[in-house]
Order: sequence, then C-alpha cells, then structure tokens
Amino acid sequence: MHVDPKREVAKSKGGRIGLVLLLIVVLTAIFAPLLSSHDPLVQTVQSFESPSWGHPLGTNHAGQDIWSQLVYGARTSLLVGLLVAMLSTILAALIGTSAALVGGVYDRVVMRLVDSFIVMPVIILLILLSVYVDPNLGSGAVTSIEFLIGIVIFGVSFYMVRSLGWIGLLIIGPIIALVILSRDLLPSTGGLIIILSLLCWQGGARTLRAQSLSLKERPHIAAARGFGGGTWYIMRRHIIPDLGPLLVADFVFTVRRAVFLQAGLAFLGIGDPNVVSWGSMISDAHEWIFLDAWRWWLVPAGVALSMTIIAITLIGSALESALDPRLRGEVSAQN
Amino acid sequence: MLRIENLKVSFEGEHILRGIELEVTDGECLAVIGESGAGKTTLGLSIMGLLNGNTHGRITLGNTNILDLSAEEMRQLRWNRVAMAFQSSQNRLNPTHRILDQVAEPLIAHGQNRKEQAKQRAAELLDKAGLSPEKFSHYPHELSGGEQQRVLIAMALINNPEILILDEPISSLDAGSRIEMMEFLRQAITDRTVLVVTHDLSTAAKLASKTATLYGGRIVELGPTSDVLSRPRHPYTRALLRSYPNMTTVKDLQGIKGQMDRRVIGCAFHPRCTQAIPLCHEQIPELTDHDGRKVACHRGGIIPALSADNLSKSFGAIKAVDSVSLTLEHGETLALVGQSGSGKTTLARMITGILDPDTGEVFLEQSKSKQSGKDFHQVVQLIFQNPGEALSHRLTVMEAVREPLEIQGIGTKEEREEMARKTIGEVELPTTEEFLDEYPHHLSGGELQRVNIARALVLNPQILIADEPTAFLDSSIQAKVLKLLMNLQENRGLSMLFITHDIAVARKISDRIAVMQEGRIVEQGPASQIIANPSHTYTQNLLNAAAELHSDMDGS
Amino acid sequence: MFTKQNLLTYLVALGIILTLNFFLPRMMPGDPLMAIYGDEALVQMSPELQTDLTERFALDQSLGSQFVSYWAGLLRGDLGYSYSYNAPVTEVIFGRLHWTLLLAGLALILSTMLGILLGIESGWRRGGRFDGGMISGMVGLSGFPDFFLGILLLLLFAVNLELLPLFGAEDAYSGLSGIDRLADIGEHLLLPLVALTLARLTGSYLLTRNTMIGVLKEPYILLARAKGLKPRTIKYRHAGRNSMLPVMTRTAIWVGRMVTGVLFIEIVFAYPGIGLLTYDALTFRDYPVLQGLLLVSALCVLGANFIVDLLYAKVDPRVNYAR
Repeated sequence: MHVDPKREVAKSKGGRIGLVLLLIVVLTAIFAPLLSSHDPLVQTVQSFESPSWGHPLGTNHAGQDIWSQLVYGARTSLLVGLLVAMLSTILAALIGTSAALVGGVYDRVVMRLVDSFIVMPVIILLILLSVYVDPNLGSGAVTSIEFLIGIVIFGVSFYMVRSLGWIGLLIIGPIIALVILSRDLLPSTGGLIIILSLLCWQGGARTLRAQSLSLKERPHIAAARGFGGGTWYIMRRHIIPDLGPLLVADFVFTVRRAVFLQAGLAFLGIGDPNVVSWGSMISDAHEWIFLDAWRWWLVPAGVALSMTIIAITLIGSALESALDPRLRGEVSAQN
Repeated sequence: MLRIENLKVSFEGEHILRGIELEVTDGECLAVIGESGAGKTTLGLSIMGLLNGNTHGRITLGNTNILDLSAEEMRQLRWNRVAMAFQSSQNRLNPTHRILDQVAEPLIAHGQNRKEQAKQRAAELLDKAGLSPEKFSHYPHELSGGEQQRVLIAMALINNPEILILDEPISSLDAGSRIEMMEFLRQAITDRTVLVVTHDLSTAAKLASKTATLYGGRIVELGPTSDVLSRPRHPYTRALLRSYPNMTTVKDLQGIKGQMDRRVIGCAFHPRCTQAIPLCHEQIPELTDHDGRKVACHRGGIIPALSADNLSKSFGAIKAVDSVSLTLEHGETLALVGQSGSGKTTLARMITGILDPDTGEVFLEQSKSKQSGKDFHQVVQLIFQNPGEALSHRLTVMEAVREPLEIQGIGTKEEREEMARKTIGEVELPTTEEFLDEYPHHLSGGELQRVNIARALVLNPQILIADEPTAFLDSSIQAKVLKLLMNLQENRGLSMLFITHDIAVARKISDRIAVMQEGRIVEQGPASQIIANPSHTYTQNLLNAAAELHSDMDGS
Repeated sequence: MFTKQNLLTYLVALGIILTLNFFLPRMMPGDPLMAIYGDEALVQMSPELQTDLTERFALDQSLGSQFVSYWAGLLRGDLGYSYSYNAPVTEVIFGRLHWTLLLAGLALILSTMLGILLGIESGWRRGGRFDGGMISGMVGLSGFPDFFLGILLLLLFAVNLELLPLFGAEDAYSGLSGIDRLADIGEHLLLPLVALTLARLTGSYLLTRNTMIGVLKEPYILLARAKGLKPRTIKYRHAGRNSMLPVMTRTAIWVGRMVTGVLFIEIVFAYPGIGLLTYDALTFRDYPVLQGLLLVSALCVLGANFIVDLLYAKVDPRVNYAR
C-alpha cells in the first residue's frame, strides 16, 4: 500500500479538524500546571461556588476547583489512551503477524482466543476484575510497569524518528512530554493500563493477521524465505513495515476505545479516587444534577471528553478513507 | 429505427467518441467492431442514456431524441424501447436476488405484467435461452459465466424492446455453448433492430447484415458485412482481419504496428497507416461513400500502391507476358503464383523497369510513373532469386548494403554507414565489424538473402518485389526469411509483390493471390477464396499438386 | 454467519468467563468465603448461614472438588446467595432482567435499522448536503460517551423541561394496569431508549454508508438503471439490500457494546435493569451478584450473537453456497 498516513489525514477536512482539536487537548494536558492555579485535588469548604476569577468554572461538591480538574483530567485520559494503544498495538502486531506466518495449530488457537475476547462484554469483565484485583500496586510492580513503558516508548520513538524523520519527532515528542509529566499518575493508573492493554489488542490482531496473510503470499516474501530468512526476520523486516498504515489506524482506534473505557470506568467509580479524570467528574456531577452547578461542572467535563473522542474519530476516519480505495472519491465514466 | 448523428462523448477531458454517424433501419442488425478501448461499450451506454460524461449530438429512436429527454422520461423508455444485453462479468447480476426474479423484474417494474405472469414469461424466455429450469431459483454465484450470459440476454429481451443492443454476447461462453447461443441470438434478432458491439469478428459475420469499424472514437468503415470482411477498404479493418484467428483466412497472423493513441491530430489511424500523406496529419477524414462502402480516409480507402495495366512482352515469337493487368494494394502482400516459364520473372522485370514492356503501363499510386529515376527507385525495390548471384562477390556486406545509398547520393559517409548498419540489424544479422567485413562467399544462403533484403530496404522503399526469394534456401531457412519479410511488412508497412511457384508458401503469406499461366493471369482474388474455392482448372491443378502431409495410400 | 467456528468461539468465550469467575475469588489470600462474599457481608452473616454456604460450595475442600461443586451449582441454576438482597442471586437477577432486555433489545433493533436507513440514504446522496450534514452529525454524535449523552437528555427533558420521568421503569406504586400501564412504561422507557439508540447509531450508519458507496459502483447497479427501474427501487431493493450485509456480520461486536451502553444508561436514568443492578452490586460489594451478572450478561451476548448468525445465513445467499 502506497498510502502515506500523515498526508492522507492532513488532506481531508475532517482530519485537519481532528488534528487541531487533538492538539488543543494535548497542549492543555502538557501545560496543565501553567493553565490552572489550583491543585485539583485539594478540598476546601467553598463548595458549589459559581464561576469567578479565582475559579473560572467554580468549585465542586468537595470545594475542588473544577477548571483545574478539567485541565488535569486531560492528562489522565491521554496518558491512559496513548499508553494502552501503544502496548495494545504492539501486542496486536506481534500476535497477528505471527499467527499469520506460523499458521497451523498456533494460528487456530490464537484466533479462537482472539474472537472470544472480541465477543465478550469487556466492561463487565473489567468490573469483576476491579473487584478482585487490588488496584494499588506494590512499588515493585510500579517500577516494572514504568520500566516496560519506558522501553516501549523508547522503541516506538526510535522507530518513528527513523522512518518518519522530523515528523516522527513532532508526533512522538509531545507524547513523551506528556508521559513524563504525568508520571505521578502511573502508580494509580498503571494497573488499569496493563489490563486495558490486555483487553484491547484483539481487534487489531484480527485485521493485522488478515493483512499479513495476504502479504505472506507475495513473491518477495517467498524470496526472503528462500534466502534463509526465519519467521522473526520476515516479520520484522518485511511484514510489519508494510503494515505501517494499518498499524497507525489500529493505534488511533485503540486510543479512542481506551479513552472511552477509562472514562466509563471512572464514571462507575472504579479506580483510584485520587486520580482526576473527566469520567469521575461527570459521575460526581451526576449526583448533584438538581443544582445549577451542572452547567459549569458536568457540561465542560463531558464536552472535553467528547471533543477528545471526536478528534480521534476524525483522524481515524480520515485514515480509514485513505486505506479503503472504495471510499476515495473515484468516479467512473459509467454509472 | 435508430439513428446516431455526430455523437461526441468525452469524460474527464478525454474524448472517447468523436462524432459517430450511424443508422440502423428497422429489423436490421448492425455490428460495430473494434478493439478494447475503442469506445464500443460507451456507444452502447450512450444509447441507453447511462453515461456520466459530456454527451453531444443526436440519438434518435424513431422520432424521439434520447438526449433531449428528462431523467424520468428516459427511465420509462429504458428496457421497453431499447434494452442492452450486457457482457457477463463478476457482479453483473445482483448477488442477493434470485435469477427468475431478476429476469421478471423489468416486466413488473414497468407495469406490463403482474408478478405471477411476469415470472412465467421470464421462465419461458430463460428456457429458450437454454438455461436449465432448476437454476431459475438459484442465485447468480451458483451459475457459470456462460449461464449468466444467457440470463443477461433473456433479461434484455423480456420487455420485447424495439431496439436491442448486444455487448459481446458470446465472448464469455465456451466453444460448445457458442453454437447454441448463436442459434438463440439469431432467433432473438429477427424482426428486431439490433446493434451488436463486439471485438469478435465471427459474431459480426454470423449475426449482422452490416458492419461498421470503430477506431479512435470514430466510424472508419461501414458496409455490408460479407463485403467488409472479405474485402476491407480501410487499412484498419484490413489489419483487424489479419490479426484475428479464424478458420477462414489462411495468412499467418500479423499485428498492427504502433498503438492506438487518442491524442493524435488528424486521422486517428495515420501513425499506423502505410499510405498516410501529410493531409492525414492535419485533418480528420469524414465518413464518405465510395462505391457502396463508407470509408473515412482521405485517400478514399486502401489505394493501389502499384498497378500494371495491360503489360505485354514478347521475345521473338514467344509471348512471355500477354496483356497482364495487376494491382498491388497499399500495405498488402500479393502473391504471383506460377510455374517456371509462366512469365513471372519477365513481369517482375517490367514492373521494376529493368525491361521495357511492349505494351501497357505501370502506375505508382494511380499516377503514371517512369520506372527510373530517384523517385521510382526509392519506392520500388526488387529482391532477386539467387542471393549469391545478386551480390557482387567483390563487395563486403557493408559495402553491398551501402551501395544504393551511394548511388542515390543520400547522406554523408557516416550517415550512410549508420543507415546501413541499422537495416542490417533489422534483418536480424549481426552488426559486428567482423561480420560487416565478410565477403559473400563466406556467408550461408540464408545470410546472403538477408543481406539482399537489407540492401533492398536501405532506401526505405514502399514496395518490395520479391522474386522467388526463398527458392534457393532450405526450408527451415526459408521459414525464417518468410517470417522476416512478414515482420518487415508489419513494422514498415510495406506493400509486397511476392513471386513464387509454390502455392503453399503463397497461402501462408499473402492477402491476395494471382495465378499466372503461360503469360496470362488466369485467376486472382483474396487468398482464402482462391485456396478454398478456386474457379480455374489450372489453379485447381496447382492446389492438387501442392505439398500435403497426407499419404494418398492411407485410404484416408 | 453461523459456522461451527463461531459456535466454538462462543463456547470458548463462555469458558473463559466461567473460569475467571471461578478462579478470581479463590486466588485471593484468605478465606474463600470472605473472598466470595466480601468481609462486610461476612460480618453480618450468621454462623449457620456461613456453614451452610461453605458446605454448598465445598469451600473448605480442595480446589478440584470446589470446581466440581461450582459446575454442579451452575447446572442446577444455583448462582449463590445475595446477602444484600437477601435472596438467591438467580432470583435477584432474573427479577430485573426483563427490563434490560426490553431496553437493550429495542435499542439494538432501532439503532441498527435507523443506522441502516440513514446510511443507505447517505451513501445514495454521497457528497450532497444530506450526506455532509449526516456525516458531521454522526461523527459528532459518536464522540459523546453513552453516559454523557444520557445525562444531557436527562437534563434537558426530565430536569429542566420536566416532560418525562427521571428514573425507574414505571411508577411502581400507582397501580396502573393495561394500556395505562403500558403508557407509563413507555414514558419511562423513552429517554433511556433514545439515549441508548443515539449512542449506538453511528456504528451501523457508518458501516452501511461506506458499504453503500462501494456497492453503487458495482456492475449490477448499472444494470438496474439500464432496466429502467425507479430510483427508489434501485436504492433499496438493489443497493440497500447488498449494503446491509456487513452490518449483520458486525452485530456480534455491537451486541457486546450494547451491554456496555445499557449499563451506563441504566445508571444515569436509574432504570432498574441488570445494568443498575451491576452498579449497585459494585457499590455494595455484593460479589455473588456480580459474578452471577457476568455469567448472565455473557450468556445474553452470546445468545444474541447466535441468533444473529442464524439470521445472517438467510440474508446472504452466498454464505450457504460457500459451504
């Protein structure tokens, strides 16, 4: 496929809007401390204050500054979304392509598992897991997770800069900044990130496997095998690079799903209450729906969340149109 | 009656049809033949009003101009007055509807029948089209390509349209089905006005009374089918016939040099034409009437490259050539067949100016010519029988091939060498210094003859007269030389007069054959006709005596 | 598409869930009874009850026998006992299941059908104003999480305009019956249904639209036009019919998403189905109910998928042939 993801997205009107919106969210997240003057978690007695200079969006039921919460909430959503998508896409790529290449029993078993997870109602599973799995990870676990994430980010950055040059840096730069700035969230969200990653890779694995299967039949792969290339080599050198645009698309859609799931779980009250997130804001605001406070409490949080998801959706759709030739505006002489 | 006037269709800047003029009278079947990309399907679709591009002109069905109708009026007209049987392809039929339903649909949709009746009529028609009844309730993917084609044709007939358009009706069928389908089609087109669009010349031959050739978005020839196919007047039609494998023509297949290019100025065919003149590059020729045939050519169709009128020559008491009239058309191979002593060589020498005729004249492209001078020698060249004798044993290969250029004073020394070298390469001889320095007595028969040919070609003649060029060669070498001559003709657009005693050879390489006996032409005509149906006894004798691979003693 | 493969997939999914259900509580350190019931509940249980439960589920014996009695329990429909509701889990769940099936079932049907219809229209008028507007609207809509959408609707219609009730599935104490009761249920159902339908609409819309665009380029559409069929016939009977197919194959995923959606909507609208039950059980740490819910939802999802698979074979004739 000679599709250049970045160009395709930049070309479409929707894609451009999506990028702009996303940029706003990312910048908000990165510059959160500069944008807000209060610690979002500090509780005061001035609850349910209306918007004022000191509190641009007023305060919530616990006297916390809503604007700060909104602004820091971006970090949570983005951190979880990006990291889950990264891990998940890597898993999807490895498992999907290996299933295609190795075939046989391995392929059948893996695909059966993949399909089972796709069909399962993930949210209920998450609820049950949250009940039994202690959300507070020991420091050992936290360090290993940090380590894992560090390696992944390093690997991805390296690859992106190598293949996309300075554009890759432009994309991965803010992500790295975001992750570093949000490190404090990791102990509380790390477990969630890991579990979500384990539940989000299946969809991508299917698509990538399908594409790998068709790539596998191409003559240049057979040639590489003829020179003695092993499965791992073929995967690394020939198949995964060719999957580029699909990987990007999978990444984008997983970010969307992860942001959605994290918000949903926060809404349900699952997770560390000390983590500021748009989902928990909506959940809290919902309890006090009878008061006027919803205008500057619930709505901004919901709009911020929706805006983020819309931005990602737009980017994803632009990519999808680029990848599916039928959707391009090709008109023929007949019809 | 269907009439198309000055139909122009363009799409996204490309002109697909550039002024089509056609008329199909009631009950008549007209075939439009052409290769892919010529615009045949576009033509069909424009009559159905299904094109997306810019359409100009008039398409009249009876009294109605289709291009003037509104979308709704056109919709009501479709299938009822004009229907198209599409060529079967993947997803041509709706994969989620049953066959019978799809065929009955137009009847119901246009309010002609209620559901039960419509299905019944559909079933009858499908049955006549040769589809087995158990398939009526099947889905398209369960039918073979041939069966789908039958469905498509039955579907086109269901509303009993005045005008039927058939788009490649048998191309997707296998051999066995074609005969049945042809039978069905013949019935279907009786008393109907039909336009058949195809690249398959035998379809045109079997179904249509008139045939038109489509090239580069225009009609270049139009006439009665049997005439057009046996005696094409436009160079493209002739070239199509030459390239079409069939059981009628006997000449080996030949392609057409070059490719169709839509952006050509003037006559679309002229870059590939053997008889193009400067006007052809400037103006597009109109489709005009010439002797009951319409041809779009500035020269009025294929013209004679060379004609001999009433030539005679006697040597003393012996009349070697007796009132011979002969025409060699542009771009064709005419074989002159006769035994030794029939006068063939004398005739050849008269034509090339080596011998003066007693009576008669030779015309080049319809104008009288002096068989001498630059103008003549650069147009007509002769290849002799005995290659060894034809080349001076004192000249090397290079010198021999260069000689004509030197005599005519063409180009500088270096240019002459270059041209000679190129031509030597063209006849598939090596162009190494060693070879170019060889003397004739070191070369084989085949090589010598190739040098001969190269020498004849170096002046870029239009007409080549080959006098028994392979008589002195072994058969395998003969085959290669003959193929070479055919290729040269294809690439350079030569007109060739091929003199031979062997009718089997003539059969393989000629478009037309003239049989000569004792100084007179006893028979001439298209090669396939002469071979299949000779009218003169002498020709028959020649054929009987010709080489055959059956043994008479087999009792077969 | 109904195949043995799909059936196997569903069984594997079920198996995973059941196994997790079994192992998770038992992997926690400490008393399995506590893990299964939670320490709060345990404190309030009488010793007799504790002994009874321990016996019933063989909690003091080896993992193997526990597994056996777990399955035995499942097969006889015994999902355990809910302490906070003071009733067997089965009773608790099935007492409220019908509300969710009503809501989710209707929403699934409505969102799919509406999505297909709008998608067909959009694909047909591709690039036009309708299409442009629809697409923008749908993309915007797809960004709103179900719960936010629900809350907005609640705010608008129930809180501010006071047009519709705020919570519940019906007015439990009003003693209505017959048509009145149906109307009452309808009133309560309306907002959650609209919210859930809107939230799930975009998936089928986008897929149908994209498929439609591809279908319109197919040769049989040209043939349909050539036959002089009315545009409406071509749009629905020819193009639409073929554009529906991918939507049906994706239903498996969407039923799963519907479960998520219904959960959030029930919470927002306090609609007493099993979604709200899940939330309450979560809040009150009623573990047996949670486990039972996982099982029941999984069964519902898989069951719905199974039904759609069977239906799909009727809709796409090529499928039967491929086997």
